[in-house]
Amino acid sequence: MNWLKHRGWERKMDAELQFHLDTQIAGYIEQGMSRKEAEKRARIEFGPLELAKDECRDQRPTQWLSHIALDVRYAARSFRQNPGFAAAVIATLALGIGANTAVFSVVHAVLLKPLPYANPEQIHSVEVIIPKQEASLPVTIAVYQAWRQAQTTFTGMAVLKPAVFNLTGDGEPERLGGARVSANFFSFLGAPLAMGRGFTATEEQPGNENVVVISHSLWRSRYAADPAMVGRKINLNNRDHTVVGIAPPSLLVPTQSQLHASLAFAPRIDVWKPIAPTKRELESENWDHGMLVRLPPDASPALGRQQLEAVLNRFIRTQAPGFNLDLKTQLIPIREIYSGNVRLRLLLILAASGLLLLTACSNITNLFLARTASRANEFATRVALGAGRMRILSQVLTETMLLAIFGGALGIAIAVYGASLLITHGPADVKSLGDSGMNLPVLLFAIAASLLAGLASAVFPGLQVFRTSLASGVGKASRMTAGGRTTRVRQVIIGVQMALATALLASAGLLLHSFLKLKDVDRGYQIERVLAVDLALSGPRQDPAGFYRQLAGNIRALPGVLAAGAINDLPVTAGVSGASQRIFHPTDSNFQEVAMQRPVAMIRSVTEGYFAASGASLRAGRFLTDQEPAPVALISESLAERLWPKETAASPVGRTIRQGDVTGPLITIVGVVGDVRPGAADRELPPFIYRPFSQWTSGTATLVLRTAQDPTGLAPAVRAEIRKLNPNLPIPAIRTMREILSASIAERRFQMMLTSLFAVIALLLGAVGVFGVVSYTVGSQTREIGLRLALGAMRGDVLRQVMVRGMIPAIAGLAAGLAAAVSIATMLRGLLFGIAPSDPIALGAVVLALVLTSGLACYFPARRASRLDPIAALRCE
Amino acid sequence: MAKHQASDRNDAELLQGTLDMLILKVAALRPIHGYAIVQRIQQISKDALQIRQGSLYPALYRLENKGWLKAEWKAAESGRDAKFYSVTKAGSQQLRSETEGWKRLCDAIALVLDEESEVAEG
Repeated sequence: MNWLKHRGWERKMDAELQFHLDTQIAGYIEQGMSRKEAEKRARIEFGPLELAKDECRDQRPTQWLSHIALDVRYAARSFRQNPGFAAAVIATLALGIGANTAVFSVVHAVLLKPLPYANPEQIHSVEVIIPKQEASLPVTIAVYQAWRQAQTTFTGMAVLKPAVFNLTGDGEPERLGGARVSANFFSFLGAPLAMGRGFTATEEQPGNENVVVISHSLWRSRYAADPAMVGRKINLNNRDHTVVGIAPPSLLVPTQSQLHASLAFAPRIDVWKPIAPTKRELESENWDHGMLVRLPPDASPALGRQQLEAVLNRFIRTQAPGFNLDLKTQLIPIREIYSGNVRLRLLLILAASGLLLLTACSNITNLFLARTASRANEFATRVALGAGRMRILSQVLTETMLLAIFGGALGIAIAVYGASLLITHGPADVKSLGDSGMNLPVLLFAIAASLLAGLASAVFPGLQVFRTSLASGVGKASRMTAGGRTTRVRQVIIGVQMALATALLASAGLLLHSFLKLKDVDRGYQIERVLAVDLALSGPRQDPAGFYRQLAGNIRALPGVLAAGAINDLPVTAGVSGASQRIFHPTDSNFQEVAMQRPVAMIRSVTEGYFAASGASLRAGRFLTDQEPAPVALISESLAERLWPKETAASPVGRTIRQGDVTGPLITIVGVVGDVRPGAADRELPPFIYRPFSQWTSGTATLVLRTAQDPTGLAPAVRAEIRKLNPNLPIPAIRTMREILSASIAERRFQMMLTSLFAVIALLLGAVGVFGVVSYTVGSQTREIGLRLALGAMRGDVLRQVMVRGMIPAIAGLAAGLAAAVSIATMLRGLLFGIAPSDPIALGAVVLALVLTSGLACYFPARRASRLDPIAALRCE
Repeated sequence: MAKHQASDRNDAELLQGTLDMLILKVAALRPIHGYAIVQRIQQISKDALQIRQGSLYPALYRLENKGWLKAEWKAAESGRDAKFYSVTKAGSQQLRSETEGWKRLCDAIALVLDEESEVAEG
């Protein structure tokens, strides 16, 4: 309110009333009264001056504002008298609002905010579906070209596939994540380049493809944002490439396995290079290109799908006339690509934080109820003195709102910090979208949540004000409310609160137990004292098999190294990357007939020493060596089980298989190894087939070594050995297997910890609630308890009775919460590992924790009651 | 807060709402300040209507806020500045309709009372 204006208004009102009185007095004096008498007479005639002024003030249209100001001053004063109460409410709200706002800011960034493309809702990813197998595939370059040449409803099509680039020349060699893309990639997305241009159609011709677009961050970090970067040549994979453009800083592209489970993009893409397929590449059966299409605004995805399927099946028939399966396709909106993996988890976290806010609100309601009950006397007095109930109600509302505003402001501060934590430690999919700082929608959410929380917390105390003022006179009020409806309302609230805390705690317990199981499960490889480093040999005239064989030999010779070897992809990342093929019996002759019955195995190529280094256990036969003249393989137990069910582990040794096709060369199985379990994957064990590096080669590989002591000290020596053999090979960080594994389960750990944090806060809030209610009941029954003690009641009986009465709502809430948690866990079975949704250990621990906590919360007030001095208690009002 | 204290005199209590009408009527003649309004009403009603002076001003402020009265500060007869109220267009319309309503009410009450007296006589 404008204070000066208000002062002026008051002055004028005073002058007007004074004029009235003065004129009256002058009149009486004229009639012959003395001045004193006249003044007295005028005052009496006028009536109470201050009352008149108050009533005049009430007529001002802005009066409600000053009522609020008054209420706020009054509320602030009463909070100053009782700072503990205010602090408890504000802290409770700040935690609730903060957690919710932080989670919402991530949900907003990942699930709601428009993606940085032109008309992002039109963009879909295409997957090929093999019927009956329920397997989906990316596409081949030839299929993409067939689709692009056909008449379809789509306004655009683009493909991309993962690539790795070794950047050499100026400075440290660096291994960069990249993508090969169709020339139209940037214009397809509708993402204009920061500098330079995208690719041209001629750059899709073999020989013209040595041009690249580099990322904004690479341009800034490696080339110091050189303004003359476009047109410069850089050396990638031992070839000169011309930089034709710099990507925009905000460019969002699929990373890791977002686009398709079998496409492994790097976590960050720094280099884009056009796809220029040679004739051989066009004929290859590599289903390893991610495909994006753009639907016109009014087109139906179903029509587009039918067109794609018609073209696809016609194309397949011309290639393989005998192929008799009708392939299907699937269109997936691009947002699903980015958020599909985390949607469930995010919504779960949002639900958990929502429950937390609900618990916070019910706690505040309870605190306020206790307060209004003890202030019933004050309210009743004010009503008796003529205060309108609406005015008292508005004061209660002002108090909750004031606390809500403070709590909300503090909550926003917590949210800013919390959101940055969520982004840093959250799932990778969240990181790629996560610029989720504070923005308008998030701020509005926080404000709305605060106000709603304030309103919700005022409902019951407000109702109670109405009841109090109707039901009771001054003096009686404080005793009237002790046993009646209010306490029942508060007990129901406690029950609900305990149910929420139980549900949260049980979910956290199940996730925690799953996590422990996952952490300790036998993975089939060593985790302690094992180092790994990813290498990528690239470019022409390289011999990866020879290189890795020699490197492993040199490393093995280092002091302190027990074993060393290389594998093209660590099993810990299985399901995220790596090729897989179908394995056939040697007697299979008709591909179409048997294909669906033969298992698909992940293919890994290894050098000698890998199994010794990783600590794999041999079940039968022997490990692979570096001298294998004939085609040989080692298979995992689960592959053996699928190829020859119900036979012993040793029986496959010496038998032959074919890999990929019925016409492939015969491969002799030389041994069977134990299964290995991927880091994050909680599904069934994937079958593996291991080949010698010389027979199934790969440029990229991970060097694995096992050491006698703590392995981290060996990293410099390993680095030096790699440099000695190939000075141009980029060497990323050398990590321990524990770190790699820990990173692969980081998302699960993060979610488990977040849920646990929410659950612990909810438990604390619940305990505070129980403590508050029981304390209040004891306080208001002091006389009654004192009387019973005076009449000879045993102190133990009093203790027991108070405890039982306090525990009843908590136990009821516990039961309801457990039921809810089990049904939630059943729905989210996918997030559990190695335990049932009704896991007795997790749920037992939860029950124990809740009973102990609420028992303690009841015990302290109960003990106070049992130790009352009967005489003092009887004297107390 | 708005509890009125009972008047200790035996004057006719003003019916709720009638004070507004009287104020509008008096102010409709010419701009007039609060004290003069009281004097004027008592003078015209030959002292039959006693206005509790304390309740006059809240009424004036209410009418001003409703836009039925407008006010300006100017010198009174005594030379001191006083707040003079005059009726706005909306105010005179309100006065007309309230007067009509009042007259209808009075006629109706009179009819009932006359009937009553006939019954009593009969």
